Amino acid sequence: MREAALLRQRYRAILAYTGLVVALCAALMLTPLMALLVWPEESYLAWHFGIPASLMGGLGIAAWRLLRPRDHVALTTQEGGVIVLLSWLTVCLWSAWPFFFGHGLGLTQALFEAVSGWTTTGLSVVDVTETSHAILLWRSIMQLAGGAGLAIIMLSAITGPTGPALSSAEGREQLVPNVRQSARLVLTIYTGYTLVGVVALLLAGMSWFDAVNHAFCAVSTGGFSTRPDSIGHWDSTVVEAVTLPLMVLGNLSFMTAWLLMHRRFRAAARNGEVRLFVLLVPLCIALLFLLTCRGLYPSLGKGLRVAIFETVTALTTTGYSTVGYGNWNAFGWIVLIVLMVIGGGTCATAGGIKQYRVYLLWKSIVWEVRRALAPRGAVLLCPAQEGDREVFVSEQRLRQIGTFVFLYLLTLTIGTAVMTAYGYGLKESAFEYASTIGTVGLSVGVTSADTPPAVLWVQIIGMLLGRLEFFVILASAAKIVRDGSRMVARVPPIR
Amino acid sequence: MTVLIVGGGRPLYFLCRTFLAKGHNVIVINDDAEECTQLARRLKVTVICGDGSDPATLEEAGAAGADAVLAVTSRDQDNLAICQLSVLQYEVPRTLALVNDPDNEDVFRQLGVGAFAPTRLFASLIEQRTAADAITNLLPVADGKVNVTEVKLSGDSPAAGRALRDLELPANALIAVILRNGDAVVPHGDTVLRTGDRLVLLTLPENHGPALRAITGETD
Amino acid sequence: MASDLYIIVIGCGRLGSYLANQLSSAGNAVVVVDWNERAFSNLSPEFSGFRIEGDAVESAVLRQAKLDKADLVLATTRKDNVNLMVAQVAKVVFSVPRVLARVFNPKREEIYRRLGVETICPTTVAAEVFLRATAPPSAGVSAGVSPAEALR
Repeated sequence: MREAALLRQRYRAILAYTGLVVALCAALMLTPLMALLVWPEESYLAWHFGIPASLMGGLGIAAWRLLRPRDHVALTTQEGGVIVLLSWLTVCLWSAWPFFFGHGLGLTQALFEAVSGWTTTGLSVVDVTETSHAILLWRSIMQLAGGAGLAIIMLSAITGPTGPALSSAEGREQLVPNVRQSARLVLTIYTGYTLVGVVALLLAGMSWFDAVNHAFCAVSTGGFSTRPDSIGHWDSTVVEAVTLPLMVLGNLSFMTAWLLMHRRFRAAARNGEVRLFVLLVPLCIALLFLLTCRGLYPSLGKGLRVAIFETVTALTTTGYSTVGYGNWNAFGWIVLIVLMVIGGGTCATAGGIKQYRVYLLWKSIVWEVRRALAPRGAVLLCPAQEGDREVFVSEQRLRQIGTFVFLYLLTLTIGTAVMTAYGYGLKESAFEYASTIGTVGLSVGVTSADTPPAVLWVQIIGMLLGRLEFFVILASAAKIVRDGSRMVARVPPIR
Repeated sequence: MTVLIVGGGRPLYFLCRTFLAKGHNVIVINDDAEECTQLARRLKVTVICGDGSDPATLEEAGAAGADAVLAVTSRDQDNLAICQLSVLQYEVPRTLALVNDPDNEDVFRQLGVGAFAPTRLFASLIEQRTAADAITNLLPVADGKVNVTEVKLSGDSPAAGRALRDLELPANALIAVILRNGDAVVPHGDTVLRTGDRLVLLTLPENHGPALRAITGETD
Repeated sequence: MASDLYIIVIGCGRLGSYLANQLSSAGNAVVVVDWNERAFSNLSPEFSGFRIEGDAVESAVLRQAKLDKADLVLATTRKDNVNLMVAQVAKVVFSVPRVLARVFNPKREEIYRRLGVETICPTTVAAEVFLRATAPPSAGVSAGVSPAEALR
């Protein structure tokens, strides 16, 4: 078969699977309607959820039925990446509908909110005091689903692909030697976290609605809140004490959680990410407390609580906050920015460069020094703890990480520059954009209803790049362009 | 006794020599033509060139008539196959397999094949450093729970010249055999130890040190 | 066959990788062991199991593959002796319910069958297929039998 025809066949399968994912997300779009049962005065919103859900679902199902491959098709990882890119873009676009038609946001703003939801960022242009419950619930549901990942959602469905192409493209690791079983396990653990979270927050004193929304957004390390002051609204040690472990659980890689559940504590303790976390968190809490928070708040107790909460929320990239940062000194700002850039655990719901990469880069410093000291003919390998076993890190892997970090910091710089071009201060821009590409959600006020659309667009791109880890987007986009040109080529190849 | 050995390299060569010196009849199976030629030239052994784990080769080599089969190749799985085939097909009375992975010593035993792991022996010999030439640790038996040590008594050993019952040996230490002038003597309480005796000492790891001290006055 | 077994495939050559791909797509949890890392490139993109690089003759490698939890072990290396050893270790030491070993040498296969090791001998299977294919046609005998069917 000639190349164009072959590609067309592959893309039929790709679009079919994209349709499947999109249809499943469309079903999710109907769930916020449950809020209308409690608040019937918001029934006018039923249309604004129902229509996009039906349209998106209809298109998705149509794609699946019409284009579904007759014989079983094995997806490559690159094709998985294309599906990830296409489905994320489609889902984010349609998810903006309720905000645009039902809440009166501008087009850019609606898209921003949708992307912030699915990427579990948590930055918002919406005034939550004037938002309907259904919309608030939709935001939290987007974060819960986005945190799990579209691949997990699709793999847990009864039909569809059986290979690991999609989940590895989206950055999800495997717990057990079968991708569907693993997906179901991850979903079970995730649901478990959520249920425990809802109950715990209820007991801590939140209302039903607040508990559900905050549990969803804590476990997915998203950070959307139903209150303008976020967790600070309650100013309660109990609420903070309950939210903290939920954020940490969301940040923990599912592999580590799996090990802990099976009581393999030593394997979990050897894990590089865990070690980095255990090292970094107390260190930063201490620094923040001593150098920033101590003098700022009425009591020492409050100062300590703030140091703890803000450190954890930044590192796990959740984005809940208990205070504003306007009165913080520059040291406090830099600590938070660094934590946001480092980010959460790999293959979890968090963002940032990811702790595993930082751990490996840190180790590579050690390896370089060791190499300089070793005898000339020595064969040196680079061991590291990944998941539950020791792996040897190849030069290629280190190079990929290096390139990734460069890309990350480059994007951070560009985004910050764009913001400053629109008149925002340097430290505010750096903070806000670090929060954007790290999909954190802590804000110092740059993101609001008044933000110019161009800045919002830069942020939208940043959030997507951060969540999908750059290369999936770049590689998949390049693949689509190249394949597209080959599929429509009418000029025969030069002999 | 007719001994069939499957393997190669130096260990095979010296094993053959040892058996020949003891007067046994030796058959060798080796899969390298060059090596087979060398062996045939140097030793008075029957050399068969082939795969010792192939039933056809074993049959041709005369496993049916062998009294013992030794599998000393460098691959554990081949040694297992050789011994099992010898027993199953030709009912050879004694077989022994060399194992490289010390964990496989136990595994082979569970499968009914006698096995010996020299790697474990080497490791334990190095671990139990001997300070003096007088002390040789022979082997740990029973998964390392019992030590067998050979101790040579020198003139200034506190045990020389004393009866066995007068030695202050700790509990669970036993002098099993005394080698005196080439003869092996099983001692009893009245036996007097002399300079130049070589004692075979059985100990448990926890009283190994005190037992050695009682006999030689040194620790290892 | 059931589709949620824990299956360990020893050897990732042509047979091993083929089996692993099929079983993994069917939904089983599959772990593949091969001492050569390059052999894993035989696995299809559909394969979603785990890979272990190591010599299956080493107890430590078998323990890493969690043989004690396996429902089925398939020994498919090119060496009869390795397959036979792993099969016996799996059955006797790790008490795996079902173990299958590929044994090329028919004579060896016969001897080990008496020991209770379940063996598949490609030589005899292929021979039977060839013979059936070249037998004079008679009612009920199909000329083509796929190897997968013959191996079942």
